[in-house]
Amino acid sequence: MSIMQYNGSAVVAMVGKNCVAIAADKRLGQRALTVDMDFQKVFPVTDRTYVGLPGLATDVKTLSDRFRMRVNLYRHREERVIEPETFANMVSQIMYERRFGPYFVEPVVAGLDKKNKPFICGMDLLGCLNYANDFVVSGTASDNLFGMCESLWEPDLEPEELFETISQCLLNAVDRDAVSGWGAVVHIITPDGVITRDLKCRMD
Amino acid sequence: MRTATAVAAPIEAHGHNHWSPYVDNGGTTLAIAGEDYVLVASDTRQSDGYAINSRYEPKAFVLSNNAVLGTSGCVADAKRLCEVLEQRAQLYQHKHDRQISTPALARLLSNTMYNRRMLPYYVFPVLAGLDSEGRGAAYAYDAIGSMERVTNSCFGSAETLIQPFLDNQVARNNQRGADPERLLTRQEALKIAIDAFTSATERDIYTGDYLEIFIIDAAGVHKETRELKHD
Amino acid sequence: MDPVTLELPHTLQRPGHAVAQEPMTRPAGPIVTGTSVVAFKYRDGIIMAADCLASYGSLARFRSENRLFKVNETTLLGAAGDMGDFQYMKHKLEDVMTHEYDMDDGQRLGTKSVYKCLSNIMYGRRTAINPLWNAYVVGGVDGGERVLGYVDLYGTTYTADAVATGFGKQIAIPMLRRRVEGRADEISEEEAVAILDDCMRVLFYRDCRALNKLRRAKVTAQGVEISEPYSLETNWTYAESIVGYGA
Repeated sequence: MSIMQYNGSAVVAMVGKNCVAIAADKRLGQRALTVDMDFQKVFPVTDRTYVGLPGLATDVKTLSDRFRMRVNLYRHREERVIEPETFANMVSQIMYERRFGPYFVEPVVAGLDKKNKPFICGMDLLGCLNYANDFVVSGTASDNLFGMCESLWEPDLEPEELFETISQCLLNAVDRDAVSGWGAVVHIITPDGVITRDLKCRMD
Repeated sequence: MRTATAVAAPIEAHGHNHWSPYVDNGGTTLAIAGEDYVLVASDTRQSDGYAINSRYEPKAFVLSNNAVLGTSGCVADAKRLCEVLEQRAQLYQHKHDRQISTPALARLLSNTMYNRRMLPYYVFPVLAGLDSEGRGAAYAYDAIGSMERVTNSCFGSAETLIQPFLDNQVARNNQRGADPERLLTRQEALKIAIDAFTSATERDIYTGDYLEIFIIDAAGVHKETRELKHD
Repeated sequence: MDPVTLELPHTLQRPGHAVAQEPMTRPAGPIVTGTSVVAFKYRDGIIMAADCLASYGSLARFRSENRLFKVNETTLLGAAGDMGDFQYMKHKLEDVMTHEYDMDDGQRLGTKSVYKCLSNIMYGRRTAINPLWNAYVVGGVDGGERVLGYVDLYGTTYTADAVATGFGKQIAIPMLRRRVEGRADEISEEEAVAILDDCMRVLFYRDCRALNKLRRAKVTAQGVEISEPYSLETNWTYAESIVGYGA
């Protein structure tokens, strides 16, 4: 088993009509043993940019703290709030900094830019960016998520439709993955604000 | 101590000494069972590593009792397994003067596979037909013959992509208020099978080219072939 | 104390002849090898080519091997991989054909039957974990139908409009996908020869285990015809313009 599968995780982000969604499971385990069912993997970066960090839990903690520090420094130096694309590049840079001793995390960034245009992107553990205009998936259930998203997602979903779609994708994907699930959280980012919902799901 | 010397083959690329008798030729097969029918769908791509051997090499086979055997894994084993099963189905016919029923054939397949426990057929079959009450019956197996009757199942290179989708759309998992016991109509099943494969073809390099769909009902086996992406 | 061992010349170490007091080992791979076989369907039947080289590792050891074999009046066999195993297979198929002749029942084995027989032998040997280290291409005309199939050391089988082995799979197949697939019925013999020669030329340029001395064979309703060895026109002048290759 690779270190990427040690704790178990599933993160997905999707584009809708003037909105984006990002969702993650809540499990933290040590291989097959479940330790925590309320582990945070999605972190707010700004009011309208979120980052999902599936992978090794210790690196999830380290990275979420480092990102917060770097975003705060950015705000002080630039006197403005960071844009999602800028943040994605910042994440990429922080990941690549550890090219030969990487953080075992494959981040996902989702947000609305200053013109309310949706932005999502994924990354590998070295920081190689992967932009998409439909959906990005990451974590131990990524194959399952690909299958779900590829068949359920469609363009121009309204916030509530997007919520249903991303929830179904995540829930059915983690139900076929032994090391992720045990609860999930969904954030829908709209120009008017962020809707956050916790999902009830199978606890086996 | 001297180290073991195998034959000093003058071949540059053969550093390893052990040869594996198995290859995975990719491809995906699924089955959906309904009230009075059962559906089997397989793509027809056969690959060997990154090479496509053939764009049309079917891996679902119609047997003489109108059951369909869908396979995935190693094609050499899959074809042999199908031949052995067909032979044994015909022996049954000659011995008992009637066609073997699908549930009996399903058990026979399990035994046939377990007979090779020490060198398993590297095949993940689904067997589909009608049971004695005329209901759709699908059976799913692992490579050594463990079996289960199912309403839906998917095996092969895109199984991780398709199985969650079938859980959601056929078994209606995570759909609040939906009746998980209601079986699909054949139009629904057909649409879902096609959707599953067009989606899987987008992300799985080993699935594609053509899709063969078999629908088995009291009237017999109906086959249709559709195009998938060739890339 | 170290056991006294007898080291055989490595060419003599074959199955069951492992070094004394060692567990029996089988060769980890082929010894004397042939490279690509390329074949495809055309209007009148099947056309196939293979070069005449049998290599010993990187040594171009035997330069007039025939890797195309006429199994019967309607069936042609092309072989890549171990040439020893190929010769064994030739004997085996000759036995089968002799046996069929001895039956004297007016029946003869069609291409599909020969292909099935060959596939069963290959699958049987791989299941015994003692494979014949080959990839075979079978071509023929069976009851007016063109048959072109492949079988390898795993017992993997498939049929297609264009079939190639080894390096040919990587180099010739992409060329044949463009020029043959979907239009096999339109291709005249003249065009088929041109396409095949183009494939073999590129293979000679790029495959270090290939030789510019090859045989071509065809199977039509008239039977099997294997050519004498011939060479292709090559052009190396452009190599001068490749940085690091030319002067």
